[in-house]
Amino acid sequence: MRSMRLALAGGAVALVAAVSATEPPLATALPAAAVLPGQALDFPRDYGSHPQFGIEWWYVTGWLETREHERLGFQVTFFRRRQQLSDPNPSSFAPHQLLIAHCAISDPGRGHLWQDQRVRRAGLGLAEARADDTSVWIDDWKLERSGASYRADVAAEDFALHLQLEVTQPTLLNGLAGYSQKGPSAQSASFYYSQPHLHVSGSIARAARRDVVVGEAWLDHEWSSQYLDPAADGWDWVGLNLDDGSAVMAFRIRGHQGQAVWAGATLRDAHGQVQDFGPDQVAFIPGRRWHSSRSGVSYPVTWQLRLGARQFDIEPLLDDQEDDMRLSSGAIYWEGAVRVQEQARAVGAGYLELTGYQRPLSLR
Amino acid sequence: MVYAVTPLLLLDQITRRYRPEAAPVLDRLRLQLAPGEYLAIMGESGSGKSTLLNLIAGLDRPDSGRVLFEGIDLATLDDDAVTRWRRASIGFVFQAFHVLPYLTVLQNVALPLDLLGVRNPQRQERALQLLEACGIAALAPRYARELSGGELQRIAIARALVHRPRLVLADEPTGNLDARTAQQILRLLREQLHASAANAILITHSVAAAATADRILQLASGQLRPAARSAALPSVP
Amino acid sequence: MNRSDRARGAWIAWRALTRSQLRGHPLQLLATVLAIALGVALGTAVYLVNSAALTEFDQAARRLVGSADIVIRGPPEGFDEALFASLARHRAVSAASPVLDLQVTLPGQRPPLQVLGLDPFRAAALQPALLGEIGADVTGLFARDTIMLSRSAAQVLELRRGDALTVIVGGAPKSLRVIGILSDAVYPEPLGIMDIATAQWSLARIGRLNRIDLRLRPGAPADAVRAALAAELPPGVVAVTPAIERGRALTATRAYRVNLNTLALVALLTGAFLVFSTQSLAVLRRRSVLGLLRALGVTRPQLQGALLGEGAAIGAAGSLLGALLGALVAALILRHLGSGFGNRAMIAGGAVLVLPSLAIAAFVLIGTAVACLGAWIPAREAARRAPALAMKAGDAEPSLRRLPTTLPGLLLIAAGAILAWLPPIGGLPLAGYLAIAALLAGAVLLIPTLMRWITGTATRSGHATLDIAVAQLQGSASISTVSLAAIVVSFSLMVAMAIMVHSFRNSFDLWLVKLLPADLQLRLSAFSDTGALALDQQTRIAELPGVARAQFRRVRQIWLSADRAPLALIARDIDPAHAGDSLPLLRAAQQSLPDGTQPAWISESLQDLYGFQPGDRLLLPLDGRLLPLFVAGIWRDYVRPDGAIVVARAAYIAATGDQSANEGSLWRRPQVSAPALEAAVRASLALGDALELIGGEQLRERSLRLFDQAFAITYALEAIAVAIGLVGVGVAASSSALARRAQFGMLRHIGMLRRQILGMLAIEGVIMSTLSAIYGLLLGAALSLILVYVINRQSFRWSIDLAIPWRQLAALSTALITAAALTALWSGRAAMSQDAVRAVREDW
Repeated sequence: MRSMRLALAGGAVALVAAVSATEPPLATALPAAAVLPGQALDFPRDYGSHPQFGIEWWYVTGWLETREHERLGFQVTFFRRRQQLSDPNPSSFAPHQLLIAHCAISDPGRGHLWQDQRVRRAGLGLAEARADDTSVWIDDWKLERSGASYRADVAAEDFALHLQLEVTQPTLLNGLAGYSQKGPSAQSASFYYSQPHLHVSGSIARAARRDVVVGEAWLDHEWSSQYLDPAADGWDWVGLNLDDGSAVMAFRIRGHQGQAVWAGATLRDAHGQVQDFGPDQVAFIPGRRWHSSRSGVSYPVTWQLRLGARQFDIEPLLDDQEDDMRLSSGAIYWEGAVRVQEQARAVGAGYLELTGYQRPLSLR
Repeated sequence: MVYAVTPLLLLDQITRRYRPEAAPVLDRLRLQLAPGEYLAIMGESGSGKSTLLNLIAGLDRPDSGRVLFEGIDLATLDDDAVTRWRRASIGFVFQAFHVLPYLTVLQNVALPLDLLGVRNPQRQERALQLLEACGIAALAPRYARELSGGELQRIAIARALVHRPRLVLADEPTGNLDARTAQQILRLLREQLHASAANAILITHSVAAAATADRILQLASGQLRPAARSAALPSVP
Repeated sequence: MNRSDRARGAWIAWRALTRSQLRGHPLQLLATVLAIALGVALGTAVYLVNSAALTEFDQAARRLVGSADIVIRGPPEGFDEALFASLARHRAVSAASPVLDLQVTLPGQRPPLQVLGLDPFRAAALQPALLGEIGADVTGLFARDTIMLSRSAAQVLELRRGDALTVIVGGAPKSLRVIGILSDAVYPEPLGIMDIATAQWSLARIGRLNRIDLRLRPGAPADAVRAALAAELPPGVVAVTPAIERGRALTATRAYRVNLNTLALVALLTGAFLVFSTQSLAVLRRRSVLGLLRALGVTRPQLQGALLGEGAAIGAAGSLLGALLGALVAALILRHLGSGFGNRAMIAGGAVLVLPSLAIAAFVLIGTAVACLGAWIPAREAARRAPALAMKAGDAEPSLRRLPTTLPGLLLIAAGAILAWLPPIGGLPLAGYLAIAALLAGAVLLIPTLMRWITGTATRSGHATLDIAVAQLQGSASISTVSLAAIVVSFSLMVAMAIMVHSFRNSFDLWLVKLLPADLQLRLSAFSDTGALALDQQTRIAELPGVARAQFRRVRQIWLSADRAPLALIARDIDPAHAGDSLPLLRAAQQSLPDGTQPAWISESLQDLYGFQPGDRLLLPLDGRLLPLFVAGIWRDYVRPDGAIVVARAAYIAATGDQSANEGSLWRRPQVSAPALEAAVRASLALGDALELIGGEQLRERSLRLFDQAFAITYALEAIAVAIGLVGVGVAASSSALARRAQFGMLRHIGMLRRQILGMLAIEGVIMSTLSAIYGLLLGAALSLILVYVINRQSFRWSIDLAIPWRQLAALSTALITAAALTALWSGRAAMSQDAVRAVREDW
């Protein structure tokens, strides 16, 4: 689940929400589609965009290694946010859909992230999210599926990523065949699948430096119209590629006192056996905290994750992986590359996401 | 009282102060000019020579006393009348010549006739006559700015006499001239005065100049007293 | 003598001289200082206002187009938005921001409101501050009919957040909701911001943009990219760089600035004349002091230095005063008029006066140098004179006479006559200005010769006063040159200006009558882009019972060249066979209309700017297509210096399908009163006060009043110049009277009446001023030809017909002669008040 991604889009969404609250719609716009259980996902159609849903994202996170064996984290994210426009503006600039892209490299040598973001209204072919398959772009930033691989191209002011992501395993449907409940109420839910163990090859640029890289990544694609429970502040999420070929996705929704309001997880073992975990089988136990001097926010950056009987210890690649998306979505959160140990043994790597630590996310 | 002949000029108990509280420059001064007389008045700088001359010419008025010209009290005339009287009756010779540089010599000499309304050709005839008499007829068409001091003063003498004034007032006429030229000028002045039967008062502090006059008076302490003719100085024939 | 001794000597001399000078004639000194102050003030003010305007323009450009390297501009009707999509993908472009930049029509005959329809997300790449300011409200802008106002716009329109703003779109009012006020930090100018989608919809521009801001990838050559883009743009869309726009803004006010700077130069030169005559007089008056100083051992250079120092002191005092005054005037202009010199092309909302100390120092220096120049000749003269001679009574006329003046004078006049025929240089009538300068200088140099010739031919009247006066003038021709020159120069300039303005006003009036023959003129807020009357509204007006005849016009902006401001296309009813009946036509094409073209009549500026001639074909970009036109004639236009082109409305409608109109003329039936007709027109449209209705005669009067206001300042400056010239005459008369004090004394001695002497002076004054007036009139008439046919034409690109304001010139001349005679009399009186008796005994 990529709630956090939500957070991002959440900022903009919150604004729209505020305006719509004061201004009742003049015309009747189609309401956003609801996420209901029992709808089978249909690929490749469901790799594509679902503009009738309120919010959607494609979220690629992963680890890279340069030829010099430098270990880096990266993320390439595209959000789509449906604007609940109250009028039938025929302008091709009418912002029916907003697209937000965010991209970062976690660079331990530098000590903090390279990151950049873009917000655009969809339209004119300049920023679009196609409905038939994964193909979403903002100008020259692009994420696209073709055959058994994805292609991510992002060129920011001072860094760039040009990556090929080969699919090595079947698509992993989270929750009940892709229906992922996000809170005690069945209304808070999303459609959610992941692509773990993507084999990465390509190149990155940081300032004037270019590197050929290889690595392993994780892709989440999630869409929803009602995401966060009103009682929730935010969430904690991990997506882990374990060395034995198994994959773990786990999240918990935090309440106002930091308690878990809801939780869920998916584990697919090396043989492809999928196990779904309910709220009482998942526990996130925070460890060491890191304090951001930029934002003043304090995040627990080491964790113990319990899935049923299994227990994973999670350590960050570097502490400062704080994402600042205030310019596009208004949110500040932590999203970073992590290492995973089980019984004091390194078993894999993945990404950790911590949202709502600055202030409650007002996602609906 | 009856005068056999009315004196041309009579200064009667003239007093003149520059400031009310100051000592008078001229103090109850008396002077009578006999007909045809050529009088020289000498005095030190600041003794009141110029003040006296101004009073005689009607350019200044006494604080008390009377200036009578041919029996007429100048105080009874207004400025215009005095000017018209002066225009007809007085001729002037100045130390600085005061010949207008942008007029010809002839025009300069004819100026008093001009003011008196004398028309050509009489005016020009008379002016030429005087130029001839003063020995500068050849200069008639020339401009004053091209001439020497001696020539300028000859022109001035011609101008002073051209309109046949009764009285010529000469104020240091040789002050700006060298000794030789001064001699010539004084001689000319005397000749021409004689020729036109005009009276004259010569103000000077030059003994030599004064010596050319018929009578010499000394101005001191606001009073005129006869001055002894110095035998040491040559008289003008 | 070592250097410090030399300096000391000069200093002592200077002190001795200046004390007596200051005590002696404070008024003349004051006039001289003021003349220089005026020149410096004018120059400084023009400079300061212009640099403030430029700074403001740069800042505004940065705010309005952000860090764009290239700006694509189209007409207010816009171009297809697909251009934006293709440019955004251009490989040299790193960021593209689509914009609708419109002057939105407001009701109440207010000036239009500039509204930028932006995509805030894309604009943020070029103007980061904007998105920061809009902040949380960005999605609020997505709602229908919403707008944000800059603080100053909100203030002017008296609106607050949440209020409704009524605008006119097409022929109907539309209500926008103000959802936020932007701080001055983002846009100090009055401005509205809308989302691009909202703007397209609310302002009836669906599918259209009229501006695209582009930032290029690092290293992309802006000029080459611009050239490449320009070749691919649809007709009527141009690619400009900020530098081009800046240059265009500069050009818009350049002619005004050059004119004002020329006036400043005239004031400075007049100041130099005054310094010259004042110093000549001062040297004359202090001859004995000067001689004494020389006798006491002050060297010639020291004396000259001291006298130059005086000139420098006068100049410095005047310049400092002028710089101060200039800064003050500039501040006032900026506060009350804006920095555009009344020119709409350069309205600067927040122009701030910055005092560039270096430039001000330069102006002070120039003023001082000019004063030194004026003081130089008298200083040299005084220093040259032998000490003994200087102490003696002597010539009043300095050795100016030695300078040959006739031949150079004639040569200068010939040069001026040739220069007047040269074309503009860099778009400016520089040769014309040079011609005026040469004619003035030549005419001044001829003054001594002419004076001598005229007074020489004068016959002797036999009257002493008259003859002496004439003789005096004749004898002092060279020294009179100085005072005559001052008055001749200022008077002739005033005459020239009077003729030019009168001619202009005359032509303007005739033009108004020709173009506004109707009883009632109507238009939707001038210079705005969104308001227009629909066809049915036009029909409704035309069919009103009180309307005898109605004519409607569509006026649009067309970009013909990236380097020039857009021109105005006027589609109106016109009979090609009788175009001259309704247009102030100057020339018509001889050829017949070629097939496939429509006749068009272009304004003179279009002819000058683009080189079109009658008989030429021209392709007019209209709604993305090229309309073939034939230049059927050239007409005179006093309103649009950037050019205007008239086409028949039927042809326009056939080419574009656009039947709307934003201007019209109505003729009323005799039985209907003008107010009744006006009321009927208003009632027929639901536009309220948005429609501007004005009687033809009223409009004419208002236009002429505006015209007169615009030239009021010119008149004021000219009057000041003549006043200064008169002071110059006064100074010269004083100096002459002073020099002739002894002479007056002698004349009084030999029986000249006081009033005769004054009469003589008055005669001198009258003769001199009459000659000056006649000479000034002749010279001024010659100069006015250059003003009318060269400078005006080249500066403003419109022609005017010469018309002579006889009565005004007669009044001016009479005033001059009277004033000059009185001045001469007054200075004579001053000299006469000295005891004439004592004067004859003064032996200097």
